[in-house]
Amino acid sequence: MKKLICLLLALALTLGLAACGGSTASSSTASSTASSSGEAASGGSGDQITLKFLHKWPQPENVGYFDEIVAAYMEEHPNITIVSEAVADEPIKDKLRVMMGSDDRPDVFFSWSGEFARKFIAADAVLDLTDALDADDGAWRSTLMEAGLEPFSSDGKNYGIPLRLNGKFFVYNKEIFEQYNLTPPTTWDEFLTLCETLKSNGVAPLAFGNQYPWAACHYITGLNQKLVAQDVRMKDYEKSTGEYTDPGYVTALNMFKELNDKGYFNEFPNSISHDMAHQNFAMGQCAMLYVELEEFNTVNNNMEGTPWGFFAMPAIEDGAGNQNFLTGAPDGFMVSSTTKYPDEAIDFLKYMTSVTSAQKMIDMLGWPSPVVGAHTADNSPEYLIEGMQAVQEAEGMALWLDTDIDIRISDVYLPGLQDLLNGDVTSEGLMQKVQEIAATVRAEG
Amino acid sequence: MYKSKRGIWLFILPGFLLMTVFVFFPLILNFVYSLFQWSAFSQSKVFVGIEYYKRILQDPIIVTALKNNTLYAIVSVLCQCGIGLILAALLENHKMRRFQPFFRTAYFIPSIISITVIGLLWQFVYNPQIGIVNPLLEALGLGKYTADWLGSSETAMGAVIFVSQWQNIGYIMLLYIVAIQKIDESIFESATIDGATGIQSFFRILVPLVKDTILVTCVITVIGAFRVFSEVYVMTGGGPGHTTETLASYMYRVGFRNDEMGYSAAIATLIFVILLVLTFIQMKLSGNFNEMKKVSKE
Repeated sequence: MKKLICLLLALALTLGLAACGGSTASSSTASSTASSSGEAASGGSGDQITLKFLHKWPQPENVGYFDEIVAAYMEEHPNITIVSEAVADEPIKDKLRVMMGSDDRPDVFFSWSGEFARKFIAADAVLDLTDALDADDGAWRSTLMEAGLEPFSSDGKNYGIPLRLNGKFFVYNKEIFEQYNLTPPTTWDEFLTLCETLKSNGVAPLAFGNQYPWAACHYITGLNQKLVAQDVRMKDYEKSTGEYTDPGYVTALNMFKELNDKGYFNEFPNSISHDMAHQNFAMGQCAMLYVELEEFNTVNNNMEGTPWGFFAMPAIEDGAGNQNFLTGAPDGFMVSSTTKYPDEAIDFLKYMTSVTSAQKMIDMLGWPSPVVGAHTADNSPEYLIEGMQAVQEAEGMALWLDTDIDIRISDVYLPGLQDLLNGDVTSEGLMQKVQEIAATVRAEG
Repeated sequence: MYKSKRGIWLFILPGFLLMTVFVFFPLILNFVYSLFQWSAFSQSKVFVGIEYYKRILQDPIIVTALKNNTLYAIVSVLCQCGIGLILAALLENHKMRRFQPFFRTAYFIPSIISITVIGLLWQFVYNPQIGIVNPLLEALGLGKYTADWLGSSETAMGAVIFVSQWQNIGYIMLLYIVAIQKIDESIFESATIDGATGIQSFFRILVPLVKDTILVTCVITVIGAFRVFSEVYVMTGGGPGHTTETLASYMYRVGFRNDEMGYSAAIATLIFVILLVLTFIQMKLSGNFNEMKKVSKE
């Protein structure tokens, strides 16, 4: 009896294994036939090529541009089909990681610059685009601003093509400012005085929605950069050497907390979304809002004719960092290293970064483009040209903190900012936690 | 055929095969994965041994998550199994029978709505600027109890748990109604003739007779409470800070956001062990175990 049971169990297990083996074998043959037919397809002129394209703008006001670009490209290249997929800002951070681990990788996909992109570079998941950029005496490279390419590079090689050049600015309601005789501040002290004046007159100075803590992290990005010496900050942001012991980090958190404690932010920042903060600003309930250059168009539409202006984060006297830096980073696209059609993928990116496409983007979305010569006085609103100018005049960029440091540190740092606003943790306490996780990350290399 | 032991194995085999491929094999694989350091898109895995299990013991967020899950389980059992039973008994009362279909439907509707919709809906309800909870409290003269429901670390978890109760109480209530309807009406009638009050017949007749259903609902709610993910993911994303993190949401965050698939797998193993223990306890309590033993002895 027992023998029989053993026999049956063994049979069951072998069957199970055989089933597994069988399935992998069949799937690999399936993929190999697919790839061979794919190669045949790329060889033949009239055969169909399918490129998967993943971007992060599913919103109806934005997706139209990408649909049009894709449609236009497909019309010019009848043998190429582009399947595009759009996933919003927060979910794409997870989705991309899952997709990059599967066989179902998108050929061309959105990425932030900085550490977010470096992660894919380190895992050999993305294609080196240096040769493509340098081909024909750098014909493609010369059409793109270096400030857009640099944060996508590693060891002197380029891995990403920028779509937008972004900077972070305070936008302000000119009517409110005029009413109380205020001018844009140039130093942090002036900024605080200005906030105090607004508050004492019953206007909430800053609209702030920190439901997702990247909003707070953009403040900290700027404050850290202005308060901590550049070389120290760069060493800390690099995961193999990060210590975060500079007192500037604590000061940055304190200065941020001061804005909240003194009531310069609207109430309940932790349960208000950034979109709602936009509305509060547009309705004149708050005098200022901290936004990216790409949002200028939204601000302008929301304001419905009310005059508005912008200024960069004011300089901090005796801050150890360079006060002429700007917070911001380019974002753009990368090509998967496993793509079957690298040439077509690169060609599609070239098409996206042509002056025509870039001007179409400026026209439809009002986004700042890193394509040289895309912005002209005719096609771009004044605020966009001025914003672009500010980005180009900046002596350097402080990349978004959450995409510039190791994700494990950012997972302590960012949620900690919500706790800081709630008073659940002190600035020193939070930096201590950051130092601890940085030590762990450093040890793991 | 019944006496043939060979026959038994033959019939078990297909089920056993399916379980092996889809349950046992992934389980073992998950444990193997938890011994390596790897991310979803990296090609290489680095062996780290039981490092991640040591880390679970020291991770303060795991403690928060365990606390939250336990609170979730306790509140869910009290509210859904307790209040759900009372609601069912009230609706089954012959005076209420006429209105039962209306209330039954009204209570049940939330549990058929997608959790994503519910999460977004309640985000608006709780919103301190445009939501209706705070104005309602003020109108009732409870102005001092207004809060930044989802944004403050003291109230966020409670607010999320409340939504879950609101959503699921109707479903559990329906299970009870079905169970109560199976009870022979004449038992209640004779009790009434003997002079039993409503409360007496609730505790002495109804509760003992739906005991099995109570156990089933407790199993459902407790296991559900330890697997809770969507509610947290949609409404707070684990924030503010990490105060509303549950085991499942933290597992997801670690794996898909922080690129530590190995640690994520270790947390998955922890969840599995917790659920296994809970299931054993509940099976023991319900007596299924004894029955199983009896059957096997025969």
